[in-house]
Amino acid sequence: MFPFVDGFHWTFGHILFLTVFGMVVATMAVTLFFVAQRVMENYRRNRVAHVQWHSDFHDLSETDRSCRHELAGRVSHRECHNAFDCGHCGEHPQFTKIEPATTALSLEAFGLEFPADRLYHRGHTWVRLEDDGTLTVGLDDLGRRLLGKPDRVELPKPGEEVTANGAAWYAFRNDTPVRVLSPVDGVVVATGGPDQDWYLKVRPTRANPNLAHLLRGAEVSAWLRRELERLQILVAPAGTGAALADGGVLMEDLPQAQPEANWDAVYGKMFLAP
Amino acid sequence: MASTMTKPAAIAIAAPEKKWIVRGHERCSTGKFMAWMTPWIGLLGLGLYATYLCFRYGLGETHLDNRFGFGLWIFLDLAVIALGAGAFFSGFLLYILKWKEIKAVINSAVVLGFLCYSGAVAVLAVDVGQPLRAWFTFWHPNTHSMLTEVTFCITCYLIVLSIEYLPILLKNRKLKQIPSFLVFEWELHKLMPVFAGIGVFLSFFHQGSLGGLFGVMRGRPFAFREGFSIWPTTFFLFVLSAAAVGPSFIILTTKLVEKITGKRLVKEDIYKTLAKTTGVLLTVYVALKSLDTLLWLNSTSVRAGVAPWEFYEFRPFGHATLFTEIVIFGMVPALLLLSRRLRERPGLITLGAGLACMGVVFNRFVMTIQTLALPTLSFDEFMLYLPNWVEYAVFGGVIAYAVIVYSLSYRYLNLFPQEADLQLAPKEVNNVPVR
Repeated sequence: MFPFVDGFHWTFGHILFLTVFGMVVATMAVTLFFVAQRVMENYRRNRVAHVQWHSDFHDLSETDRSCRHELAGRVSHRECHNAFDCGHCGEHPQFTKIEPATTALSLEAFGLEFPADRLYHRGHTWVRLEDDGTLTVGLDDLGRRLLGKPDRVELPKPGEEVTANGAAWYAFRNDTPVRVLSPVDGVVVATGGPDQDWYLKVRPTRANPNLAHLLRGAEVSAWLRRELERLQILVAPAGTGAALADGGVLMEDLPQAQPEANWDAVYGKMFLAP
Repeated sequence: MASTMTKPAAIAIAAPEKKWIVRGHERCSTGKFMAWMTPWIGLLGLGLYATYLCFRYGLGETHLDNRFGFGLWIFLDLAVIALGAGAFFSGFLLYILKWKEIKAVINSAVVLGFLCYSGAVAVLAVDVGQPLRAWFTFWHPNTHSMLTEVTFCITCYLIVLSIEYLPILLKNRKLKQIPSFLVFEWELHKLMPVFAGIGVFLSFFHQGSLGGLFGVMRGRPFAFREGFSIWPTTFFLFVLSAAAVGPSFIILTTKLVEKITGKRLVKEDIYKTLAKTTGVLLTVYVALKSLDTLLWLNSTSVRAGVAPWEFYEFRPFGHATLFTEIVIFGMVPALLLLSRRLRERPGLITLGAGLACMGVVFNRFVMTIQTLALPTLSFDEFMLYLPNWVEYAVFGGVIAYAVIVYSLSYRYLNLFPQEADLQLAPKEVNNVPVR
């Protein structure tokens, strides 16, 4: 079979067979080499957080990946294929020209405070652009109630860098770690915490920070409505069928109010960490 | 009523183990899982003991001999390789034809493919009897044998399946916390279409050559077929039958896991898509198989100077085997899975998929056991072969290995990406009228 084995004679069959299998093995080897090269490049360019987000986004369910323009009613069904990075979406500018079909509902109707001076990330954080050019980052009202009173919070130190959709900080509740995603790129200049209204003050890495991916206006109320429906299903006791809303307001500390729910699964879904 | 309003008591999964289980997946308690695994581990142990006997004392420990060299193990090899075709075929549908819905089952299909092929290679290692000399097949191959091509293809494809399994493994909740694993998994995942393409290429040839090696045996007129160039018709029929039943095996295993775990794992539409795929391919296969059989009965065997119907005089392989293979395990499942109306009934999808899988297994049985049992020379006698306990034990050991690895994969890996969402879907509540 091989030229270096005694008694070998080349035939057309040998050439064809060895060429085809040589190509198969070479393709596999080159592909694996390419993978190794890409891995090293990701490390060299410090893109681990970016890869982690893309990997997690890939694992989100189809409904979790709904396009913001579907939420706003500009399109009946559209799945995001850009990991919520609207800045790199070719169709996003066209969609923004269309008036949203859903109206910006009064957020108080849900019993939650979602001030209009902020932009919202789907991982339940908000961003407020301050006069001094810094960005204040906090947990939105639903995220705050989901965590309740965390046992422990691990915040980045001032001077550390956070990347959009990378981990901003970790909270721990009932031995369950919760990774909270950063809504923006930047360098941390100050840290707050659960006892304050905000968690991080960040100086953006670019003069014009990319905030295109954050929800605003009518999108927020439509998204929030969907999140509340999702939460209702997630924390509902087993065997509960479809039920009418009773008009109640969410408790301040949901894990304490509903301890029997699978909070690990809830946090995974609501904070986009499958 | 009150019972439906409270969650069942927390399932007793050991705290360290919880960290390995995919977020949002509900799994049985550690004790229950161990109870499920124990008999399989016992069977695997028995299989390993039988393997030791074969390696220590040789194949004389089995009922295999020079006349019946292809027995239970080769039958098992051919059957699991055909059933494992679900891996390459679903990869083809997802990565080449871009059928996005196949994403729901691709991970499970890859694991099943890996288990089928690694199990087949393990059995071959016992069957060859000298595993330390396995490399001889690559260094000193018989270039006139289709098995050489099969050996090269299966070895390469097992490597491909291992590479395809790796991202699924590295996506484990605990393992993906290691950044280098996560980055490697992601980059490997992005290039999966390349491996899927290689898998399709390799599978086409080794599935075909496994059939071809029977078709080229002029000394076995029951199996001998004419064909195209160097490939007998059995080459193409094996490829087609494997591709046809691959989706059915995925249906069957997924339904089985759903039954055992009591959970919905994929949406009903996926079953219908897979069933339709089997239905179409199986219809083509049955038509070609019938044509091939008619040609063999009326032309090939006549020109070879044998009376083909006489092969069916040897009991227990009567005319019923032909009828069973083509009609009961061929036409019936093809019709069940091809009809849109019948596909609306989940029970019939399971039945059709089950019959289709049994059909391919039965076809491989006919090609190995029946072919070797029939006399070929005037002084030959019909030979009935029955495996002994060592062969059954090795067979059982491979099944146990597959069940153990699949159970561990199901428990700790995300084999069915829709599972977490389906667990959240509102369940049907009794006595509530729903329009």
